[in-house]
This record gives sequence, C-alpha cells and structure tokens, in this order.
Amino acid sequence: MGLFSRRNVLAILLLLALIVPSFANAYQLFVGNLILIYVLLAIGLNVLVGYAGQLAFANAAMFGIGAYGTALLQVHLSWPFYLAFPAGALIAMAVGLMISLPALRLSGLYLALSTLAFAQFAQWVFLHWDTLTFGAGGFKSPPISFAPLPLSKPVGLYYLSLITTVCVTLFAQNVVASRIGRAFVAVRDSEIAAQSLGVDLLRYKALAFGISGFTAGLAGGLYSQLLNFVSPEGFDLFQMVIQKSTIVVGGLGSIAGSVLGAAAIVIILELLREVKGAQEVFFGAVLIFFVTFLRGGIVSVLQQRLRGWDEPLHGTRGTDAKSAPQLRLDEKESLP
Amino acid sequence: MTEFALSVRDVTVRFGGVKVLDGVNLDVKPGEIRGLIGPNGAGKTTLLNVVSGIHAPLQGDIMLDGESIAGHKPSDIARRGLGRTFQTSKLFRGMTVLENLMAGLHRRTHSGIFRSGFRLTRVTAEEEEAERAARKSLEFVGMAQFADRHGTELSFGQQRVIEIARTLISDPKVVLLDEPAVGLSINRLAEFDLLLRRIRDEKGVTLILIEHVIRLVMDVCDKVTVLSSGRVIADGEPDQVRHNEQVIEAYLGKELRARHSAS
Repeated sequence: MGLFSRRNVLAILLLLALIVPSFANAYQLFVGNLILIYVLLAIGLNVLVGYAGQLAFANAAMFGIGAYGTALLQVHLSWPFYLAFPAGALIAMAVGLMISLPALRLSGLYLALSTLAFAQFAQWVFLHWDTLTFGAGGFKSPPISFAPLPLSKPVGLYYLSLITTVCVTLFAQNVVASRIGRAFVAVRDSEIAAQSLGVDLLRYKALAFGISGFTAGLAGGLYSQLLNFVSPEGFDLFQMVIQKSTIVVGGLGSIAGSVLGAAAIVIILELLREVKGAQEVFFGAVLIFFVTFLRGGIVSVLQQRLRGWDEPLHGTRGTDAKSAPQLRLDEKESLP
Repeated sequence: MTEFALSVRDVTVRFGGVKVLDGVNLDVKPGEIRGLIGPNGAGKTTLLNVVSGIHAPLQGDIMLDGESIAGHKPSDIARRGLGRTFQTSKLFRGMTVLENLMAGLHRRTHSGIFRSGFRLTRVTAEEEEAERAARKSLEFVGMAQFADRHGTELSFGQQRVIEIARTLISDPKVVLLDEPAVGLSINRLAEFDLLLRRIRDEKGVTLILIEHVIRLVMDVCDKVTVLSSGRVIADGEPDQVRHNEQVIEAYLGKELRARHSAS
C-alpha cells in the first residue's frame, strides 16, 4: 500500500472535512456542505449508472422529491426535521422503486428517455401544484436548531451532512464489494448471463433504483436546510447534468471516484462563479475533455499513477481507459 | 433422484409463423453426457434457450429433476440447479476472472443489502468462503493462474473454459454447453474431452452439449440427439446415430447419401 493509497487519501480528506468549520468562513462552510451533498448524490447515481448500468435521468427529480418531501412535511404537517428528513428520503426511495418497473423492459436510450420524461413530470408538479408545493416562487423551509448542542445552525447542518455522507459512503463501499455489487455489475455487463447465474433482474434493478432514490432523497433533505428555501429551478435538467458530470469526471463504477468527482465539480462550478457567462462554456469544456481523453475519470489516472487505488469491480486495473466500464446504449442484447 | 435429470416433453416453440421446435422430446439420465447435433438452423440453441427459460414454450413441458420448469424465469430456473454457457463469451467485462467466478456463486450466497452494507461478520465469512470456492473452481479447469486478470485479456478459448467454471461453482445439477469447443486450439481440444468427463465424474453434473466438432461428440457423449428443422430425427448411442440414414441425409442431402451408401 502506497502512502497515497485510496484509504489514506480518503482518511485525510475526512480529517480535513472534520476541521473545516474551525477555519472556514460562512461561504467556505457553505461550499463544503454543498460538496457533501453532491457526494451523496454522486454515490447514489454511480451505484445506479456506473455499477448497475441503468442509464437513468431521474436523479435530479429524486433530489427534488427529497427536498420537497422533507420541507413540506415540516410546513404542512409540522413534523420535526428529524422525522421529516428520513421520511423525505423514504418518499424519494419509493418513487425510485416505482420507476424501476419500466426499467425491466427498457434499457439504454429508451430508459434514458422514459426517466427523463418522469423528471419533467416531477418538475411540472413542483411548478403547478400550487396548493401543495407553493408553485414557481418556492417557499421558505423552517430552519432547524441543534438546541441542546453548542452548534450554530450552519455548523450543525455541516456535521449532520458529514455524518450522513460518511455513513452512506461506507455503506455503498461495502455493498459494491459484496455479492450485491457483483450482481449489479453482472446485470450491467450481460443481462442474459446474469440471469443464467440466478440473478433476478427486477430485484437488482429495483434495488439500484431504490438506493439511488434514497441517497438523492437524503441529499435533498439536507439541501432544503442548506438553502432554507425550496423552489423548482434547483431540480431541473441542468441539475441532472451536474450530477452526471460528477460521476463521469470522478469515474464510473467507483465509490472513491464519486467522492473526488463531486468535490471537483462543485469546486469548479464555484470558482467559475467569478466569470459570469463563461461558467457554462468552461463547464462544457471540462466535460468534453473528460469524455474524450479520460473516459475512466480521475480515478483511472490515480490507478495508473499510484499504488493502492484498486477497487473491487472497477475494471481499469493497470489497463488503459478503453476497458473502463462502458454504458450500453444499444437496446436489449441480441440472443445467442 | 428421479429417473431423468432433464426431461423435455413434446415442446413446441414458434417465432412468428415459423415453428422453430416442433414436438421435441428429450430425456437425459443423471450423470449422462448428451450430445446435441444437427445442421444450422435445426433449433439446437433454441432448445437450450427454452430449457433455460429465455423463451417460453408454446406447448409441452420441461422437467428439471422431476419438477416442471417450463415458462419459469431464467433466474428462477438457474436457482433450481440449471447452469449454461453461451455461444459467445459472456464473461463480465468489469470484473476480474476471480470476481466473475464469485458472481457465479450468486445463488449459493445469501447476504442481503443491509447485511452487506454494514459488513457484518457473517458477510466477511461468506466472502472468504466464496473466494476459496472460486479459486478451487478455477483450479479444477486449470485456469488458476488467471484469477486476477480481466476476461478481455484472455483468449476466446480460455474465456469459454472460465465460463464453464463460473457455471460449475454453484453445483448445478444439469449444465447446458452451447458449442463449448469453439475457439479451443487443437491441443486444448484433447484435454477438453477429459475436462467434460471430469465434470461428470467428479462433480456429478449431467451435461448436454451442442457441438460441431463431431469427433468430440462421438468420443465423449453417452448418447447423441440429432435435430433437424425443429424435430428430433435420431436419438441413441453415437455409433447408431452415425449410421442412421436420416441423419446422413440431413447432413449431406439425398444425393450425397446415395453416393455415401454406394461407397
């Protein structure tokens, strides 16, 4: 194991994350919290897209459902945050499970289109069901307090996000290294061969959608508190593009890659705030660079340059980016 | 143990207007190696697909170890003890050879999402057990040195043999092999006879193989079934089948058959 092995680097990042509130100003703390939220989103999406190979575009909608669910349960039913937060995530998970049903019949572009349609539908509901969602103007979500603890709200929320993110990261790392992770990758690489080994397609596709829905829901709940405000435009197609970018830049089929990719994208976007107008252009250029020259993402570079970055079920070990997990865009694979 | 490991009863499959299988019967005893031959388009692969659940039969029944499996989901049939390989290599590209083998143990391992996610001690034990079994299964087919390689780095023939190991690891009752010898070098082919016999004798697995290398079929199979245009035209020991007039006709055509019997 090298000094800069995956474990060591992630441990150092965690230590750094722990002490951020001691030196960061309010804006830096906000960005740090945003990174944690995007790590959650990236991990869920990577399990679904990178590992299970389901090219779905509904993650931004689930993020929104988590945010709306958490905030609306507080507003309409006066639930306390500690109940509304997990409940919002569970609602997003239930929706995720629901949209996994068409995924059994659709794959590739068709799945992408149907999930995109769902995302637009969710956007429409956020915008137009005024009595429930307060429409296009959005609404303030009730601020939480960490009263008995000696923490200000931003610092408390930061640590809550950190704990959630660390737990989800460890959980996902264990899952992908288990028989469940192997079943996901089997479904991604060959549905027919996976079935011939006893892997039930519906079960594992549903599981992947459920995991991504739940993590996106958690991220949404935290996001609603970070902004103190929920409105439809945060959960549109551009949000989906950002989330996809985090896993492409970090590395498809890699948990460590999800963490690095989310951090990289949030930092890039924040730095680009300075150059208004160029933000989209530069962001697009970064994406084109990665898709053209670095298919395996940041993680594939680290795997080649440093020791100890090998992950289970991440197919780049020592070879070039060509063997990185590829998404299948074709329809059902042809029968033998 | 029932009388037949696998029993196909009067199975018909239709794609659109074409009857691909037409009242096929096949009875395979436990511990048998059965060859399945026939000209191109005879329906051999369709028969394997119907048995493994990829297609549902229009009529007829299929019994695996005495239980009906006709129309069940492929994963369900696999869990009842039917393994198979495919004409083309279907090793999972994103996994090492060892991980591929461990994926083959899916139906023999049980940790669910929560146990796996929290990595309880039972999961660790199960993983270690799975890795041991995977290495043993690779040794069985003589591929242990490739455990940490990716399938794409190996020859087509090697990939096919590893796929057989991936199927055997979960102790299936019956294994269907679709042209397993394609891509094997001449040297490997000689060892392949031996491997098939060892699978039967040491693992107690019933084998059904589609094969175009006729020498292999004649050498290793206890019985041979000949399909032509979706029907079974002959069924018996290799020597009987070899001299069956209908079989010769199906392979060579009528005229050549006349010449064949004249010579």
